[in-house]
Amino acid sequence: MGKKKFIDKKKSATFQLLARDSSNPSNDDGPSGDRIFVRVDDSPYPVHGFFDEDVHNVEGTAHPGYSFETDVTNDSNSIFTNAFGDHDGDDKYDRFEIHGNQNQTLLTGAVPLPDHTRREILELGLPDDGYNYLNHLREIKNTGGGSAFYHNSKAKLDQLPLDVKAYDASKVRIPISLANGDANDNSLYTVAAKTVGLRIQKAVDPEVAALLDDGDMSRFGSDVEDLEEDFVVRANPPEEKEDVLDKSMNSVDRSRVTRQEVRKHAICYAEEQGSQLLGCDASRCHEAEQGTVTEQPRVRRLLDEQFDMLTLQEYDTDSDYDNDGSIAAEGESLADKLSHVLKDHVTDELDLVDKYKVPADFLHKSGGSNSRELVDSASDVIRRCVEYAEMYNENEGNEDVMVLEESSGESEVWDCETIVSTYSNLDNHPGTIEAPEYGRKKKLAETVSKAAASDRVISLRGKERLPVEFLPHSRNAVVEKVKKAPSTKPELPKRRPHSQESKEEKKERKAAVKEERREARKAKKELKELYQCEAQRAQRVAAVSGPSSVHVM
Amino acid sequence: MALGMMKPVKPGLEAPHEELHRIRITLSSKNVKNLEKVCADLVNGAKNKSLKVKGPVRMPTKVLLITTRKSPCGEGTNTWDRFELRVHKRVIDLVSSSEVVKQITSITIEPGVEVEVTIADP
Repeated sequence: MGKKKFIDKKKSATFQLLARDSSNPSNDDGPSGDRIFVRVDDSPYPVHGFFDEDVHNVEGTAHPGYSFETDVTNDSNSIFTNAFGDHDGDDKYDRFEIHGNQNQTLLTGAVPLPDHTRREILELGLPDDGYNYLNHLREIKNTGGGSAFYHNSKAKLDQLPLDVKAYDASKVRIPISLANGDANDNSLYTVAAKTVGLRIQKAVDPEVAALLDDGDMSRFGSDVEDLEEDFVVRANPPEEKEDVLDKSMNSVDRSRVTRQEVRKHAICYAEEQGSQLLGCDASRCHEAEQGTVTEQPRVRRLLDEQFDMLTLQEYDTDSDYDNDGSIAAEGESLADKLSHVLKDHVTDELDLVDKYKVPADFLHKSGGSNSRELVDSASDVIRRCVEYAEMYNENEGNEDVMVLEESSGESEVWDCETIVSTYSNLDNHPGTIEAPEYGRKKKLAETVSKAAASDRVISLRGKERLPVEFLPHSRNAVVEKVKKAPSTKPELPKRRPHSQESKEEKKERKAAVKEERREARKAKKELKELYQCEAQRAQRVAAVSGPSSVHVM
Repeated sequence: MALGMMKPVKPGLEAPHEELHRIRITLSSKNVKNLEKVCADLVNGAKNKSLKVKGPVRMPTKVLLITTRKSPCGEGTNTWDRFELRVHKRVIDLVSSSEVVKQITSITIEPGVEVEVTIADP
């Protein structure tokens, strides 16, 4: 029957109603916004009125939230998809089967891509199939290439200290001749001569400036930062004003203390000096530039006065020092002054290498140059020793002095003479320890040879059929051995050549060998028995402490 | 018999300035109830728009059968499970412009019903 079909599939366009990606907000306007018609066939039949129109124009009273499902057997992404080439049976309903990935290209957009997008895609070499591959492009970033910038959220870049050092050069005076002598107008000196003092704010970290400027160092608890270079000289007043009457311990001690302090102060002062020279404090820079160490025009501060007071108190002088001037003003060098001042004080004798001096030596002046104070100190030491000795001797009769031996480091080291065993007496029972029986084999050989020499048949007795005479602990054997020990040795049986041995001799020889072996076995067993517990202990220790790779048992 | 004849223009009505197409809407689903509901809605919608509608033609249901042994091992009585998946299909033919079809199909769609629209020129 020539039945005219309602729709000729070859001349028609087929659309499926699919759900849109609801996460895309533009897809949700209107009740029908989440569905679109997607063309699923690939016939060239153009449909103008259907496909190109935007679904958003459609109005209706659709129920929101409904969505279509794709044809599960034709959608290539679905798990129910037929395999390529697998048809759903030849149904007679003229159903147009879709194969391949054509669905894919139409799924994402009803509208073909705009021309500029398509051009870009083509330029990149990607196929022009309606899919916007530009969504998948990644921008080329700097992935490191040596050093990538890592954005540190905790970095406070605006609070970094300025890497600026500013010097107040307003008081620098360039000699005019130098400035004018240069023909070049822009030379360093001409430019420098024209400088004007500029007030710079925050050129120096205010905290640092405050610290540098801090004259009152009382919070550091020491008052030695402002010492001059010749402070030692000044501290030790000139000879005529020294209190020479003070010969007691006090002066000695004080001088000793002073010596130590002097050294300490020297170190501190050197540091301070260095920091002063390097500091950026504007108020001091120009002074430092002058090249002298002392500061002539320096204002006397509270600290200076304190120091003076201290020296006055200590040394009982009432003079006002006029020696604040620089050292250059005086004709004497600093070193000379120092030695002159300190010559009466105790100095370390640094070459005591050869001779070891006892305080008594100092007293008796038995060598070297002894200063007065050295002698005094020596005498003091001796006196004190005497006192202690007396004290000690007094105590001896009164109390029971327990002398406790300290275990010094030396005694911890064992030597072969002091130690026999690290085991305590609880373990080392004299009866248990025995000398190892090395003489076993010798004994055996002796007994064997004795037996052979005695020309007797070796009698096997007992249930075990043992040669009784040759057993280690048998009395007979011992007795015989004592008698015959010296004589049996040279009487070892001659070894006749093998072929000339008679049967009996062979038997004897073999029997002797067997006995020897039996004895050896017995001896080994006894030894093992004897030292069993020792062996067990050793094994235990090894198991605990030894490396795991070592097979203990 | 000509099924897809153009409907003669009724007097008093303007000729449709949009060309008409022959449209076949295929609905398939595993769920009969939803499918019937959607079919009824579509037909009603088309009739409201006074389109020529050929009512839902019910295609034979396709049944996909899977028969398996119930037992995970081979032991026991040989009992079998028969699982099936039924796919129902309905076809609706219309003659209208594509605009109208879009309107119609945008209305009510139950979940689980798949809609396929084929358009052909008359």
